[in-house]
Amino acid sequence: MSSAAETAAAEKAPGPAGSGSAQRGRRGPDRVGRAVYRFLRSIPAWVLWLMVIVWSVPTGSLFLNSFRHRDDQRASGWWTSFTEGNWTLENYADVLSSGEQTGGLWQALLNSFAIAIPATIIPIAIAALAAYAFAWIPFRGREWLFIGTVSLLALPNQVALLPLLQMFAGGAHWTLPGTEIVVTLFPDFSLAGTATAVWLTHTAFALPFAIFLLHNYISTLPGELFEAARIDGADHFTIFWRIVVPLSVPALAAFAIFQFLWTWNDYLIALTMLGAAGENYPATIKIASMAGEFGLREHLLSAGAFVQAGVPMLVFFFLQRFFVRGLLAGSVKS
Amino acid sequence: MAALWGAFLGIVISVGASAAVFWGTHRLFGLVERRWAVVAAVAGVLVGAGAGAVAAGLRRCVAVEGSRNDECTPLLDGPSFGWINPTLMWIVIGAAVFGLAGAAVGVKRSPGGDRIATLQGRLRALTFVGPAMLFVALGLIVPLLRTIYLSLFDKAGESFRGLANYGEIFTNAQSVDLSGWAGIFGSRLFWGSLILFAIATLIAMSRGRSRGVRADVSASTVGIGLGGGLLLSFAVFANLRGTVMNNLWWVVAVTFLSTALGLLAAVIADRTKRESFAKSLIFLPMAISFVGAGIIWRFMYIARPPQKSQTGLLNAIWVWLGTLRPSSGGAWTAVAVLAAVTVLLTALCAFGVRRRQSAIAVGSAIAAIPLLWLIYRFLGPGVGGSALGPNDEPIAGTILFVQESPFNNVWLMVVLIWIQTGFAMVILSAAIKAVPADLIEAARVDGADERQVFFGVTLPTIVPTITVVMTAMIVLVMKVFDIVRVMTNGNFGTQVIANEMWQRSFTEFNLGLGSALAVVLFLGVVPVMGLNIRRMQRGE
Amino acid sequence: MKDHSNRRTRLRWARLLAIVLAFGLIAAACGSDDDGDAEEAPAATEAMADESMDDSMADESMDDSMDDESMDDSMDDDMSDDMMDLSGTKVTVFGPESSDEEAGALRDALDHFAAQTGIEVSYTGARDAADQINAQAAGGNPPDIFIFPQPGKLADFARDGHLIALPDDVIAAMNEHWTPAWTAFGDVDGTQYGIPNKSDLKSLVWYKPALFESKGYSVPGTWDELKALSAEMIANGDTPFCIGIESGPATGWTFTDWVEDLMLRFHTPAEYDAWVAGELAFSSAEVSGVFTEVLDLWNTPGMVFAAGGSIAATPFGDNGQPLVDNDCMMHRQASFYAAFIPEGTAFADGSADAVDTFYFPSVKGDQPVLGAGTLVGAFRDAPEVWEVMKYFASSEYAEVRQQAQTERKGGGLSGFLSAATNQDPSVYQPLEQSFLDILQNADVVRFDGSDLMPAEVGAGTFWTEGTAVVNGDKSVAEATQAIDDSWPQ
Repeated sequence: MSSAAETAAAEKAPGPAGSGSAQRGRRGPDRVGRAVYRFLRSIPAWVLWLMVIVWSVPTGSLFLNSFRHRDDQRASGWWTSFTEGNWTLENYADVLSSGEQTGGLWQALLNSFAIAIPATIIPIAIAALAAYAFAWIPFRGREWLFIGTVSLLALPNQVALLPLLQMFAGGAHWTLPGTEIVVTLFPDFSLAGTATAVWLTHTAFALPFAIFLLHNYISTLPGELFEAARIDGADHFTIFWRIVVPLSVPALAAFAIFQFLWTWNDYLIALTMLGAAGENYPATIKIASMAGEFGLREHLLSAGAFVQAGVPMLVFFFLQRFFVRGLLAGSVKS
Repeated sequence: MAALWGAFLGIVISVGASAAVFWGTHRLFGLVERRWAVVAAVAGVLVGAGAGAVAAGLRRCVAVEGSRNDECTPLLDGPSFGWINPTLMWIVIGAAVFGLAGAAVGVKRSPGGDRIATLQGRLRALTFVGPAMLFVALGLIVPLLRTIYLSLFDKAGESFRGLANYGEIFTNAQSVDLSGWAGIFGSRLFWGSLILFAIATLIAMSRGRSRGVRADVSASTVGIGLGGGLLLSFAVFANLRGTVMNNLWWVVAVTFLSTALGLLAAVIADRTKRESFAKSLIFLPMAISFVGAGIIWRFMYIARPPQKSQTGLLNAIWVWLGTLRPSSGGAWTAVAVLAAVTVLLTALCAFGVRRRQSAIAVGSAIAAIPLLWLIYRFLGPGVGGSALGPNDEPIAGTILFVQESPFNNVWLMVVLIWIQTGFAMVILSAAIKAVPADLIEAARVDGADERQVFFGVTLPTIVPTITVVMTAMIVLVMKVFDIVRVMTNGNFGTQVIANEMWQRSFTEFNLGLGSALAVVLFLGVVPVMGLNIRRMQRGE
Repeated sequence: MKDHSNRRTRLRWARLLAIVLAFGLIAAACGSDDDGDAEEAPAATEAMADESMDDSMADESMDDSMDDESMDDSMDDDMSDDMMDLSGTKVTVFGPESSDEEAGALRDALDHFAAQTGIEVSYTGARDAADQINAQAAGGNPPDIFIFPQPGKLADFARDGHLIALPDDVIAAMNEHWTPAWTAFGDVDGTQYGIPNKSDLKSLVWYKPALFESKGYSVPGTWDELKALSAEMIANGDTPFCIGIESGPATGWTFTDWVEDLMLRFHTPAEYDAWVAGELAFSSAEVSGVFTEVLDLWNTPGMVFAAGGSIAATPFGDNGQPLVDNDCMMHRQASFYAAFIPEGTAFADGSADAVDTFYFPSVKGDQPVLGAGTLVGAFRDAPEVWEVMKYFASSEYAEVRQQAQTERKGGGLSGFLSAATNQDPSVYQPLEQSFLDILQNADVVRFDGSDLMPAEVGAGTFWTEGTAVVNGDKSVAEATQAIDDSWPQ
């Protein structure tokens, strides 16, 4: 922080010198210099578009390949199809019509929604509450609880899968030491193989990051706002609902986007929690499985990837509107 | 249609139920001050119902010879007809008894006002933190403790081994192999980093001289210095090998490059006209599943036999460059274009020197170096992968991006950088949008230009967010798994800890060793998190 | 004051310790306790059947399912008393075959069975099922029947007590249709746990007969003839082999196939069995000699057509195209490889571009055959499960599935093969019939060795270290030693 402030001060200094040279420029030979400077200022836009192109090329390659036959994909590069043609919609038709006995891809997309929507909304709600408490409600042990919770971000999710599956499949039981008596700590709700088990798992795994991200945002909200509300007699719940949530919309939207993407594109957690319950598989597993045991029909994955990515892209376009400048500034004034 | 309804109902019920529970507890705690007896009664009912459920679940279990499953009989029995069953009965009994007891106690005496206020405050905090803690405890803490416990046992989780699993990890030469340390000093990356450090020092000193201090650190110095650091880390990690070293390499390279590129994109996009379009395209890789990403990069990196046309884009470009023989028409065109760009950069450099804009001067000078090198290659030995066969037919010399160690690691990292830049960009973009407009206006009124506003106002304001992004990135990269699994599965010297953990615990089902690897991974990241949070809390 | 705060700190620490201890106990308990999981499975399926409308709402049924535990014992008894009527019961089958053709044909065959018996059999295929079954079994959520891609894995599960030994009537039904050479793969320490489900023939070389004829090459009958033929091809400017071992997470398995096939040829079946059982070390002269034999052949200049000259970088599925394009003359790969050969290619019909196979030549003239395939094993002991298992053992299943799969592939080779006897040969194409002849009539049949070895080796170091030697990163001695070191004690 302090070094950044110094930098800021240092950057301020050449200000007058710069404007001085601009004045000199008006006198003659430095007109070229000004043109160059203007060009330089426009460079960032070019850099951005260059980056956009570099970032889109890999995806674009697959997109074009998804309209080509399997043997074409293997034999020649996608750029040759501009001259040779031979486009086909067969891959998409195959992907969309696959697995007709088990409800097909449409069923799988519905399953994906049934997992991703609760797995996005519920962690956000829970984490926003906790983040607010960690930031603005003083209670004993708050700091340690917060550090402990957020440290769990470091836990590799894979290790938690098996214990959770055991809990969902048979409940959690504990044999009292030295006796034959078993206490049921978590009853067997037969959750294994259901979408509920999947989104419950996602919720638990998402919380450390959600609390971390939202706490970072909520803790920087101006305290005067809350003071004013408290003087007016508002309790924590009212403050949270009336002030914190509306002001945190960009952070909530940002987290919602990522959480939706991660849960929508998740493969491992869903497969572990669902096991042989194929009728509940989300689209990721269905599409990956289309490739077959030895990757025989791997060419379908190209079309499958775009079918899969369509929904998250829509979500991103929709939620991007919430990243609005000046949301905070305006409310502080009013 | 039934499935659609099922999904929809499930969502509505789960969201509605959690909201109702929260609202209910909230109202209940609101009653603490006025109606203590009601609170005590409801608390009693809840405790009683819980106790009843636990009591009904008590069973006596005896191991059965030759079966994995014990034979269990419930300790407490009860009637079982229709919808009435023992469990329900015990819950009702528990709830009734405890509820009445709670009400009786609540009516008799109520704690003093001071204690009620404390109690209320604590309960409020509990309503806010409780749901999160419940999920965290069941979903993460219990599995974590179980993993630590299992890591002390053998493959099947039966006989105690102490710390032997950890010993196995750290004595294994595949984890850390430092034997190639001498190679660091022979690598071009190392010398390149030294040159960059020297340039950064020179700039800082020359700026400092004009200002009367020994060294003056500016944005350009920091930028060049960071570039040097990155090169140095590449030189080190390319020579010190092993699973752990690979993981560290990933963390350094991906965290730094993704954050830097994400920041760049967020800053530029913020003042570009078609902002949301540009951002969507950079964000697109995040929307693609790992299965899709694996296929995408396969089509980028794949190499085909020399005699065939290349299907991988990068190799196709590389081989095509190779067909531009020195002093052929294509090569001359390339040289002409490159020379024009170099002249432009030289002019920029001169301009920067005259204006004392060190960033422009040094930036363009550094950008010109690879171009000069390319010109030299085009004129002399040639660029790209192609050689002439015995009958003057071109033979492609493809690059095996994924197979040639150690830099295949970098090509795998490129995939994650490609994905994660969108993540950094979105979060940083939101932070930039949240910089109060009056701050920026105030700086503008003081006569700061756009660059000064950025380094003086925007950047300092979003530093906490950059820290958050980098922390999240470090944690995420430390756990990198999918890309390595899909693309190499740890072959060709690209193994990382999380993939090894997966292989040990799920392919081989060695629970002890797999758990130990998970604990190592966890302990490796905890200090980063701890430091970070302490810093954040101090900042408040 | 100081004393007071000290005591409070100590108190806090004690409380923290207690919490950690409590969690530790829970963690320990959760791991070791599986009471009643398998018994609950039928109860759970029943409960699901009642409200099949929405599975995502299964949490609503918590009150019902809590008392199922006390009821399921009596239910199991009812079932075994009443063997005749199994209609309405449910059996779940899980396996790695997941593409539309394979999984679809498997489902078609099961639907055929369901129509006869009224047992509802659902099949779920997932690409990572072979990894996933570990978690499902340990997590207490196994399917009723799993299709094991490797007998080694079946043996692991049987020894861990997850699988149920086959009852006598199921074994009898199996023996009607399968020869001992194949049923032996489902035999674990003298008890039968698995039934063969699908068979692959690995000792095959794909080639184009018309091209051989026009170039004057003849099909080799011995290993030495094969080497001589390769040398002749190189001298003529042809590339003998297409080889690629890249296969995503399973990279290296093609190399292990070559090693196994040659182990069976250079050494006796008994030595092969000893090697697979871990009694003959990889670093022994016998095994490392075979490694060297394979690598010497592959590393001969001009021998292999591969990406950038790198066998390790070439996807194994990409070898079909160059074979058809005459970029290489031969490709050694299993019977299922037909599916990877570009669409529109004719098989063994005598036309100019037709692709055919010849037997991967033997060294000593004993004609051994390397086979592979899948086996089914049961996780639940219930009459409906055994009925399904009997059906899997039958030639009827093989015929129905083969017909369905051929149809789904739109004619041509189906990629499915079953070594069950008493099958109607007319459901197979002529080339497939020749595979069957080899499989059913071979004296020496051995299963793919890597599939029989423990997973640490067979799906681990054998692949990775093999890839490392092929890529030139390690010497044969280093790699074989590393594999031996990884063999579980």
